[in-house]
Amino acid sequence: MKLPRSVLLQVLSRSFFLQASWNYEQMQSLGLIYALNPAFRRYYSGAALLAAYRRHLEYFNTHPYLATTVMGAVLKLEEQVQQGIDPGFTVSEFKSAMVAPCAAMGDSFFWGAMRPFAAVVALLFAFHGSLWGPVFFIVLFNLPQFWFRVQGLIKGYGGGVRVVSTLQRWHLSDKAIYLKQVLVLLLGFFAAAIGAAATDKMGSGIAWGVCAAPLIFGMSALMKRKFSPLFVILMLSLLLLFWFQLH
Amino acid sequence: MFLPALGVTVAVAILCGLDRTAAGQFMVCRPIVAAPLTGWLLGDVTIGLQIGAMLELLWLGRLPVGAAIPPDDSQVAVGCTFLAIISHGETGLPPQAVAVASLLVCLPFGKAGQLFDRLARLANARLLNKAELALDCGRIDGLERFHLWGLLHFSVASLATLAVVVGGGMFCLPLFLKYLNGPLVVAAPWIYLLFPLVGIGSLFSGLRVPRASLLFGSSFVLGLLVMALR
Repeated sequence: MKLPRSVLLQVLSRSFFLQASWNYEQMQSLGLIYALNPAFRRYYSGAALLAAYRRHLEYFNTHPYLATTVMGAVLKLEEQVQQGIDPGFTVSEFKSAMVAPCAAMGDSFFWGAMRPFAAVVALLFAFHGSLWGPVFFIVLFNLPQFWFRVQGLIKGYGGGVRVVSTLQRWHLSDKAIYLKQVLVLLLGFFAAAIGAAATDKMGSGIAWGVCAAPLIFGMSALMKRKFSPLFVILMLSLLLLFWFQLH
Repeated sequence: MFLPALGVTVAVAILCGLDRTAAGQFMVCRPIVAAPLTGWLLGDVTIGLQIGAMLELLWLGRLPVGAAIPPDDSQVAVGCTFLAIISHGETGLPPQAVAVASLLVCLPFGKAGQLFDRLARLANARLLNKAELALDCGRIDGLERFHLWGLLHFSVASLATLAVVVGGGMFCLPLFLKYLNGPLVVAAPWIYLLFPLVGIGSLFSGLRVPRASLLFGSSFVLGLLVMALR
């Protein structure tokens, strides 16, 4: 039984609540069942539905934006099992194999690269008082994540286990590295903007803005030695306050 | 002014608290969005934007990976914006000075968010147990309800964090402003610059990118040249 588009839309909308009951025992397992439920109710009823719930009430934890990829493929597998097609492994085995790579790719791309990239672009505007900053952040971050959520479900449901090759074709790990390199460039530019703003306040030449770079490298070295950013900012701010109190 | 403003702040805090983990994850919870949003709703978007710009990078490198919970910068952003706007109205100090003061005072309270978030996740484990028991009894209708109850746990955790941030801030901020308002007004523009510098340092320390220092240094020098030529 092929799922109608309306049911897939329901699964997609429910996937936004995947982590509503996130817990340390099975993490997103209840969320997965919640998201897949409209489809399950099409496939099964009575004891078979109960069995499906039991089957999926097990450890599940992946990146929320790539979860729809796994969900789509799981729905396809459930459909194939119903039609008597043996994929050669259980749905549970497939899920176990998929969650960790999806989590690693999603963490690296969305949390490690896309979010800081969007944040620094937004800060380049917001730092100078432009309200476009928050707008750019929301648009820059959400367009890709929404695209991956929708495409993940479509490709997952369309391809079943072949979604693995779709994931490979996306090259998320490579894209994360390129995006991080762009992020470093943007961070350098943002640091220059701060240096220029500081020299502007002092009324000194912009060349003095170069001092911002060793300051950042020094702080970065401190934080690599596990100094907390909170501690560093509080100490430096107190030092500044005392400096101005004394002068 | 106080109670309606607090009501609006609570509403934004719940929205951001849910967006952080439980629902949507559209990143409305990031300080660069949450603080200006709160400021806009409370009638002073500039203070919100300044707080968001200062706070955004500070804990951005702390990734919400697996069971790791970063400090709750969303509630710090929302709570600080509320406190700064209230203090600005009461003291008449420059907006940037109250924004800086409220952040310096409230930042450590953001750590409380980790505890409350953890408690919410522990409470969610009980929902899972209830769901398992319901399935053992052959009941399937309650499953979705148990899942959605988790939203309530995350909402309560956000409110608890907001209460600590705002409560702690309301206690400490007047003392801070009373004894340090003189140097604060002069130091605020410098501390405003210091926050993103520390944030850049923090983010840079966690990036594993080939030739990171070279890329950073080149764009830094190029950026300074562009600004010098403007």
